[in-house]
Amino acid sequence: MSFPQFNRRQFLLSGAALGVSALGLPVTSAIAATPGGTLRVGLNITPNKLNPMLARVNSEYMLGEMLYSGLTTLATDMSAQPDLAIEWSSNEDATQWRFVLRENAQFSNGDPVTSNDVVASFTKLLDPETSAPGRRNLGPIKNVEADGDFAVIFDTETPFSDLPVGLTYPTAKILPASLIIESFEGFDQTPVGSGPFRLVDFKPDQVVVVEKNPDYFLPEQPLLDRVEIRTFPDASSAAAAMLAGEIDLLNEVQPTDFERVANGQGIDGLVTPSGRFLDIVMDNSKPPFNDKRVREALSLSIDREAMVELVAEGYGTPGNDSPVNGAYRYYKESSLKSFDPDRAKALLAEAGYPDGLELELVASVKPGYRSSMAVVVREMAKASGFDISVKTMDHPTYLDQVWKKGQFYVGYYNMQPTEGTIFNLLFTSDASWNETKWNNEAFDALVAEADRTTDTAKRAELYAQAQQMMSDEVPAIVPCFFDLLGAKASYVEGYTQHPRGASYGFHKVSLSKSAPTR
Amino acid sequence: MSPEFIIKRFFYLLVTAIIVSMIVFAVTQLLPANAATMILGEYATEEALLALNAKLGLDQPAWVQYWQWFSGVLQGDFGISLRTGQAVGPVILSAFGNSAILAVFSLVLVSLISIPLGVIAASRRGRPLDLGVSLISYLGVSMPEFVLATLLLAWLASPAIALFPASGYVPFATDPLAALHHITLPVLTLTIVLTAHVSRMVRSEMVDTLESDFVRAARLRGVPKRRILFKHALRNSMLPAITVIALDIGYLIGGVIVVEEVFSFPGVGRQLILAIQNRDLPMLQAGALLMAVTYAVANLLADLAYALLDKRIQFK
Amino acid sequence: MNSTRRTLTALTKTPQGAIGLLLCFLLLALTLAGPELAPKDPEEFHFTARFAAPSTEFLLGTDWYGRDLLSRVMAGSRSTILLALLATVIGTVAGALIGIFSGYIGGRVDDLIMRVTDAVMAIPSLLFALLILSVLGSSSFNAVIAIGIAFTPGMARIARSVTLQVRGSDYVSAAQARGEGTSWIMFAEILPNVIAPVIVEATIRVAFAVMTLATLSFLGLGAQPPSPEWGLMIAEGRAHMFRSPWPILVPGIAIALVAIAFNLLGDGLRDALNPQASS
Repeated sequence: MSFPQFNRRQFLLSGAALGVSALGLPVTSAIAATPGGTLRVGLNITPNKLNPMLARVNSEYMLGEMLYSGLTTLATDMSAQPDLAIEWSSNEDATQWRFVLRENAQFSNGDPVTSNDVVASFTKLLDPETSAPGRRNLGPIKNVEADGDFAVIFDTETPFSDLPVGLTYPTAKILPASLIIESFEGFDQTPVGSGPFRLVDFKPDQVVVVEKNPDYFLPEQPLLDRVEIRTFPDASSAAAAMLAGEIDLLNEVQPTDFERVANGQGIDGLVTPSGRFLDIVMDNSKPPFNDKRVREALSLSIDREAMVELVAEGYGTPGNDSPVNGAYRYYKESSLKSFDPDRAKALLAEAGYPDGLELELVASVKPGYRSSMAVVVREMAKASGFDISVKTMDHPTYLDQVWKKGQFYVGYYNMQPTEGTIFNLLFTSDASWNETKWNNEAFDALVAEADRTTDTAKRAELYAQAQQMMSDEVPAIVPCFFDLLGAKASYVEGYTQHPRGASYGFHKVSLSKSAPTR
Repeated sequence: MSPEFIIKRFFYLLVTAIIVSMIVFAVTQLLPANAATMILGEYATEEALLALNAKLGLDQPAWVQYWQWFSGVLQGDFGISLRTGQAVGPVILSAFGNSAILAVFSLVLVSLISIPLGVIAASRRGRPLDLGVSLISYLGVSMPEFVLATLLLAWLASPAIALFPASGYVPFATDPLAALHHITLPVLTLTIVLTAHVSRMVRSEMVDTLESDFVRAARLRGVPKRRILFKHALRNSMLPAITVIALDIGYLIGGVIVVEEVFSFPGVGRQLILAIQNRDLPMLQAGALLMAVTYAVANLLADLAYALLDKRIQFK
Repeated sequence: MNSTRRTLTALTKTPQGAIGLLLCFLLLALTLAGPELAPKDPEEFHFTARFAAPSTEFLLGTDWYGRDLLSRVMAGSRSTILLALLATVIGTVAGALIGIFSGYIGGRVDDLIMRVTDAVMAIPSLLFALLILSVLGSSSFNAVIAIGIAFTPGMARIARSVTLQVRGSDYVSAAQARGEGTSWIMFAEILPNVIAPVIVEATIRVAFAVMTLATLSFLGLGAQPPSPEWGLMIAEGRAHMFRSPWPILVPGIAIALVAIAFNLLGDGLRDALNPQASS
């Protein structure tokens, strides 16, 4: 087959040459790291199934990453790094991409990982019938085909320079082609992957045990012999277990527990600024929120700095009603919106509610700070004449009856790898979860253009405009971003908490010599 | 106790189990959102939902679903968990075993503590000691398990004291000592709450017995007080005490749900909460049925014990 | 009325009964007047006084939003105590009616009703309440209904056993001979006998209802924030208990007081109504 000319400038990265340092780990510490040992990890969400393509929660992403590999992985600076693909490049307008695969990767059943498996995996992933989460977050992929045994070519509908980053989506893992056809359901219980670890025991509600994959493609990795993952339904017992030294690493510490855990003896608290946010979702297509003045009034009723203090216990950053913050590449700084109840009251009166407005704000009970935010919003907005009652409900009922359907509720979203992903996930007219029904054509055009622009400076400008537009039009209120909070025992080395909150890099983690022997 | 009595009671037990399964099934039919919604979650499309509903058999009429489940149970098959895809039977049985360990240890401790406590309180009825025992037990009944559990967790498992592990579970088969160590805090929580309740019940039963004619008669005959208390009165109060403890098994099971949640203990309670949250009906059905049957069996045994003991007392 | 007065007199003669009656009376007063007497707005945040210890400004301290705990407990007394009472009343009334009906009618209907109450009793009441709340959605009122339903079978059992005792009595036979209707016999002849044991049980159940409401809040179902319902206050305060004990201590003590008051009253009533004990 013919392949278009490569643009030298677009030739992004050669992983083999950069070696370990490309994975975000200083070379020296990798050399000094002591191999061996068992890492005990505490999690707050029970994993349900092991099929990585169907993973939906962080615990499942974690297992997917340990047992499987993807083409690319996401570095903490939100850039794509090699995984199974060691290098990639695109044509001039970024509509066609070629990924070169490493030749030393093999599945746990002994078969080599080839382009055939990659094509089968993406075909399955993109098939609407699979209902794979994040199917639409990978990018506008039109076609995937093999180019020999160890290269694949992706064609996209529109120019898309973020494809390598898009492919880091946690569900985009490579499974053996033969088993995808024969028994896709088998992956729920029996993993067959090329990741750094292999499954030993899967008792989802109790403990999941994985051990080192001796045939892993990266030399001398993983460093650990074993990882045990335990789930804690109750946050305070997870904190107690961390403090008592029963676990070595705790993912997701509650803001209310963080200070106490981080001050524990031999414990390092981990704070990572992130684009994770809670937002107040308003249905822009129906009264009263189809009136921009009402949305603006509510926006002005919120003291954002106090919100960070009250809901995130100070571990967060105030938001300006755009879902993009400093953790993203193209964040445009702007001055924080003011807290102005008088102006809010005037706007509300102008919109036809001089005597105030009665509303019901729905919040799922999971995670706990959704209802905290609802209560704080209720109290803050009282001064402007909003009379907001809070209604909490269990998560299944919320998903079934309110989410994407409700008029006024608290949303909760993880950071996404790119600005394009978060905009197209929530705020464009054809967003996967177009919950605000804002349907602003100018905004759609802006995002679409930014997505397909390859020039970085121009792209930054376009995304900045999109952020400004959201801040002005207030399709939703984004009052507060949350830092990711975690904790690790001091003897755990090589672990970097990822701002995206869905990537862990356990193959680089090791236990120092001071770790207790068990 | 005639064989007919036992057969009749056993038949009642079966009927109870069937009605429980029907009630739980009926309630779950009314739950908003089903397993398909939960499995597909935020990424569900209308078509995918329909397809999954059909695959899981959730699109069939309720009575067909119930019958399929019921006939499976008759053959010992509790179905497949909609959440994890694992067979429900082994999962729920192993969880049940773990919960049973908690429950048995708690019950033994409760009996050992609360019966003497109740007897002492009754024998000093209206005196400061009685009031003291009552007050302590009132404090026990007035503290929700989740508060008590959290307090114990924060205190006894804190790094400064570190007497007991904060969470987790070790099977008895692998290391009995470590297993005991791990169940101490949950058992302690359940024991404190239940002791309060049972000792109050024992006290009030004991008060009735002490006022009864035959105890008066014994007292008039000049039988020493201690002897009356422990030989005559206690034996008679044992029967109601057994019944009270059996009835409290229902309460204990409820407490187990909370305690397992706080201590991350892998028992039936945890499975049930997960099943409700994920609309995992087969797991929910199996867990609820197991709990109900446990309760019913405990009460049946208490009744049988009552009948047996009662007979001995009558013939003595 | 005479018997009521006699019961009350007997009640005040036992220390449990006297203290219980006094405490219940005080709690009732709090329920009636508490929300109006609260010194501050129970929902108002005080940003500069989060996690404050008791002081002259905040007599019982503040919570994580700087809300005045004294005001919250006072405001919450009405919903907490009334809801618990309401749940108990629902369970008691429904249970007593079912029990009397079942016991009086007897036969197959009785058999059927008893099997169903057996089944409902066999489902742990917390699990039952969880299921019902998941169906109805969380709100205080739905929690009350759930707890009421869970309480019903126990009450029905008690009412039925009393009914069985008096069904064969002379005055019931006499009423039947006079040709009185079934409902008249049930309400006029049997009900008065059932009231005493049922009320004793009900007073003890009130404490259970308060507890169960709190536990449901802990599991994320029940009262809606920012309601100052005591169980919800404890459940929410648990996340902050290491920074300040007051948000969990204050409503905890309040709940303990209610539980103690109603238990004392129940014990006292039991002793007062027990013919053997009072003789």
